[in-house]
Amino acid sequence: MLRSTLHHVNVTFAVVEELSDKRLLVVTGKGGVGKSTLAAALALQSAREGLRTLVCEVNAKERISLLLGRPEVGPEVTAIDENLWAVNVRPQEAMREYALMMLKFESIYSAVFENRVVRYFLRFIPSLQELVLLGKILFHLKEKRPDGRWRFDRIIIDAPATGHAITFFSVPQVIVDTVPPGAMATDATWMRDLLIDPKTTAVVLVSLPEELPVNETIELHAALLSKVKMQSSLVVLNGFIPLRFDASDAPESEGLKEIARHHTARANLSVASLERLKTLGLRVVTVPRLFVPEFSRQAVEQVAAYFGGKK
Amino acid sequence: MNPIRAALASSDVLITVGSGGVGKTTVAAAIALRASMEGQGSLVCTIDPARRLANSLGLQALGNAEMEISKETFAEAGLAPRASMRAMMLDMKRTWDELIERRAPPDKREKILNNRFYQSLSSALAGSQEYVAMEKLWELRTQRDYPLIVLDTPPTAHALDFLDAPNRILDFLDNDASKWLLTPALAAGKFGLKLFNLGGSYVAKTIARFTGTETLQQLADFMLNISGMNEGFKERAHQTRALLEAETTSFVLVTGPMPERLDEAIYFHTLLQQNKMRVAAIVVNRVHTPVADSLWEEVARLPPSAQPKFDQTLKENDHLARQDARGIAKLREACGSTPLVLVPRFDLDVHDLKGLYETSHWLWGDRRLEVAAPGQ
Repeated sequence: MLRSTLHHVNVTFAVVEELSDKRLLVVTGKGGVGKSTLAAALALQSAREGLRTLVCEVNAKERISLLLGRPEVGPEVTAIDENLWAVNVRPQEAMREYALMMLKFESIYSAVFENRVVRYFLRFIPSLQELVLLGKILFHLKEKRPDGRWRFDRIIIDAPATGHAITFFSVPQVIVDTVPPGAMATDATWMRDLLIDPKTTAVVLVSLPEELPVNETIELHAALLSKVKMQSSLVVLNGFIPLRFDASDAPESEGLKEIARHHTARANLSVASLERLKTLGLRVVTVPRLFVPEFSRQAVEQVAAYFGGKK
Repeated sequence: MNPIRAALASSDVLITVGSGGVGKTTVAAAIALRASMEGQGSLVCTIDPARRLANSLGLQALGNAEMEISKETFAEAGLAPRASMRAMMLDMKRTWDELIERRAPPDKREKILNNRFYQSLSSALAGSQEYVAMEKLWELRTQRDYPLIVLDTPPTAHALDFLDAPNRILDFLDNDASKWLLTPALAAGKFGLKLFNLGGSYVAKTIARFTGTETLQQLADFMLNISGMNEGFKERAHQTRALLEAETTSFVLVTGPMPERLDEAIYFHTLLQQNKMRVAAIVVNRVHTPVADSLWEEVARLPPSAQPKFDQTLKENDHLARQDARGIAKLREACGSTPLVLVPRFDLDVHDLKGLYETSHWLWGDRRLEVAAPGQ
């Protein structure tokens, strides 16, 4: 139902057909590997190719709007570029929206959910917070405009890092297992089915060409599959350093030899990382290390170009 | 004196904090290793859900129990520590179960262990991890005799929860909501709390529409069953909070030098200070070292065909070194009197004892790093 379509656009992400017809892109990986930059780049490229795109951060210190050179957007869905919206989903506001959706009336919400005692109580229902965060994001996938078209053609989630990503995306399943039938369990079932539907959802694993991040990517891929039943679609290897020097580069200067040796060591690590990631059986897209003054719009534009360029 | 050595001279608990991907676990393990090398027996404990510590120590796996790193393993790395070093990784579920078994009244144990809320609370779900870590730290600190415990924490957002964990469990036990739920049942001396006997309240009915009736019932049962443990929890929460604030506990904040990631470190630094925690040092990890001036001249003397590659490489290195220098300057300005300890970026990742020992030279002040002129 949610799939139906992106047919008003031929195809997006020319170089990665794994993502081109998906409505939900989940970007995850170890902390510090460039998830936000990649999520911003995919969002920018998607919007440019004509899809109405919403990029979501999850209760994080907001980075995406800033990376795109815009002021912070906070918990309200805010237009930040042509065809591009951003939001930082936070528990309190999400809880309110979710409750309002279910209760229909603002007055009931205020009477019940703004009650201090109740608010405390809700904090201790396991995972309710994660459920409403995820619920709000996925709800936007269902929203339609008056003419019947999707409000957002595509949603991109800048997901929490490794361990917390597993916890986060497991929440619908945990609720289904824990919470007896009721509105919450019904919603959780819907969310779980959506997350594991490969026609709707694509998981993008972000990694860096270093030993530990690569280990973690491989573990994350396995854990998403075994614990959450989410199949990853693509690996993005950020900060790739191609080989530059070879045996013929043999300067007499010891200092320059050291420079070449150092560069080659890092490049070899990049190549070895790429080989290890390829064993996952997924396509690995490499994004070269960028030398920019800071990770700002300019850097995001450069990364976006890797996904929109010709094959 | 080097601030980390100074901290270890006066502390027996050292907690590393910081955002993800900055090498926090490596720093924690390197400090513990160095302490053991210098004769201060150590334990390094990680609560990070990702299994990084075993990796850094060259161990296959780590469990909930403390594992000693063998003399043979050290010998292979060419190291001979003067005191023992142990490592462990916190197993959430097991630590919770042990806690219940130890603390719950005998007739409640099974009921709690079988309650669905307890099961999800204890196995994966948000917030409880931090509490259990505090519990474990307390246990290790009081029941064992380690001259030094180095505790590695989860990334920033969660490390904040970690600081807050003792308070949160107090809130949980001590707030109006629990009383509202529990009091009538306790008064009635009943076990199966009938939530909807609470006057069939409008509030209760509305929440039930949201969560389902049975959910509330289960939660109420859970709270009722653990209510006997309140005093114990409360006492422990006060004790762990006191432990975090103690003279003998120090924090080391770990960060990378990238300017755009420093806001988090600065925020965390402020927060620790507001909470009366002592920050011994800020470790800036993976700093790019400046390019020596002589190298530019040497490139100019190369045959023209060889120049571009080297020139490009020096420019890139210079770019990274200056970028880091700007970050370090920003950090220095924002964090005032807290000393910075700089660790260079190595060619390869640190993932064995040898690499950890190498890292410790910088942490210990045996070697000092020069910083580039920030420039543009």
